[in-house]
Amino acid sequence: MPDHSTAAISTAAPTRTAGPDSARQTLRLGVAGPVGTGKSSLIALICRELAGELSLGVITNDIYTDEDARFLRSAGVLDPERIRAVETGACPHTAIRDDVTANLLAVEDLEVDFAPLDVVLVESGGDNLTATFSPALVDAQIFVLDVAGGGDVARKGGPGIGRADLLVVNKTDLGPYVGVDVPQMVADGRAARDGRPVIGLSRLDRSSIDQLTGWLRGVLAVFRSGSHIAVDPGPMAPHSHSDEGGRAHVHRHEDGTAPHGHAHAEDHEHTHA
Amino acid sequence: MPDRVASSVPVPAAEGHETGHPNGAGAEVMMMLLADARLPTGAHTQSAGLEPALRGGLKPSDVPSYIKARLRTVTVVEAGAAVVARARTVDAAAGTAEQAAGLAAALRKVDAAWRARTISPALRETSVLLGRGYARLVRRLWPDSPGAAALAANGRPGRAVVLGVAAALAGLSAAQLVRLIGYDDAQTVAAATLKLEPLDPVVTIGWVMAAAADIERMVGDLAQLTEIEQIPANGAPLIEQWAEIHSVTNQRLFRA
Repeated sequence: MPDHSTAAISTAAPTRTAGPDSARQTLRLGVAGPVGTGKSSLIALICRELAGELSLGVITNDIYTDEDARFLRSAGVLDPERIRAVETGACPHTAIRDDVTANLLAVEDLEVDFAPLDVVLVESGGDNLTATFSPALVDAQIFVLDVAGGGDVARKGGPGIGRADLLVVNKTDLGPYVGVDVPQMVADGRAARDGRPVIGLSRLDRSSIDQLTGWLRGVLAVFRSGSHIAVDPGPMAPHSHSDEGGRAHVHRHEDGTAPHGHAHAEDHEHTHA
Repeated sequence: MPDRVASSVPVPAAEGHETGHPNGAGAEVMMMLLADARLPTGAHTQSAGLEPALRGGLKPSDVPSYIKARLRTVTVVEAGAAVVARARTVDAAAGTAEQAAGLAAALRKVDAAWRARTISPALRETSVLLGRGYARLVRRLWPDSPGAAALAANGRPGRAVVLGVAAALAGLSAAQLVRLIGYDDAQTVAAATLKLEPLDPVVTIGWVMAAAADIERMVGDLAQLTEIEQIPANGAPLIEQWAEIHSVTNQRLFRA
């Protein structure tokens, strides 16, 4: 009875380094971080700085409004047609991580409508410290904190702070007004990241802006060379506890996470203080 | 009655009758997957029109009636079109190479019939978006099937046609397909209620169970359809109007 039998199912997983997707020239870059840290402003800044040299598109994931998309359109830094909002049904985590369908469709549409695009920026709905993008949606991701949110946040760690491709400590110019030691906060970020890059950013600080655009150009170049590997920052924060010798050690659990075929992280990272 | 428990290896679809499932073991699991809110097709962005309905003045206490209204109107149209799309795909799989080659054109006609019966452009647009989510699934799970090829040749059909193809490939019966669409519609409304007008979630489960009779009525009315002309053309002007308003609203929690 061929008409009622189940058709053979393919279980092949797509890979980021082989198959038709490898021909993709558009870098998909996620921007995550808590509410109010300046994700939209960071995207506006990137557009303002790079729209003349790169072809850009933006997807926003507001939790309840299209405020971010409207902000970006009104900022006048990019053709409004290139900025699209995706509603997430109050599930911003889901939309960037376990069911990325709505965002993927929007990204693919932008890439078709404005081909050839160099970079699509996907802004997550502002959430908490645990929300990170799936490598199935973005090739690289920026995690944004700001000094006004508290000088201790970088030290608290989390998957985005620890393992996003770039950590931005935003609004460094506000440090004196909110009583935050900015160099210390940036140093905390570096300590949490095992050598991964950190940028202390202010829209008033030219050199910090150049660092950001330089980083983005670098990631795009590596992506197009074919040697970039999308990294999952992971769903869980590393945590520390003291052993009997009084030494703190930090580790992260891989249990329960899907196996992923990239070579970035050791299963256990131990740092002995 | 063969001993189902004793078998430790997956039962091939061709031997599905030995499991007691006439359509094969895979079909039962696929039915559950397609009905699962965790299926990665973007369904979490949808309220089945409930958000605009509540904004338009529907009382939260009337949500059960809203579910029933959908199951007698827009959902009937979608399920009817899906059943015919499934029948075309099953025919193509069982027929000659020529019939398989004609599947794309046959599905295009089914999609046109569904569009003709779905007046609101916003409802069609939403269905196309959802259809693309399911089409990703079909393309990935059955990459070499005539159904996947026919869908690709069709551009962006509505969800009804894509679900019909998926049902055929998964080995779902027409009755299972209608039940799936009816259940999915009712449960989408029920789950969205919890985001929009929170209440004890068990209450909304009761709403879906209460809709079972309407879902089974749909199954009885639609499962035998084989021709485009048989697809019902029930309309729900208020649901369509709410959908149109929602499509141009700024502050939306759900896409539709």
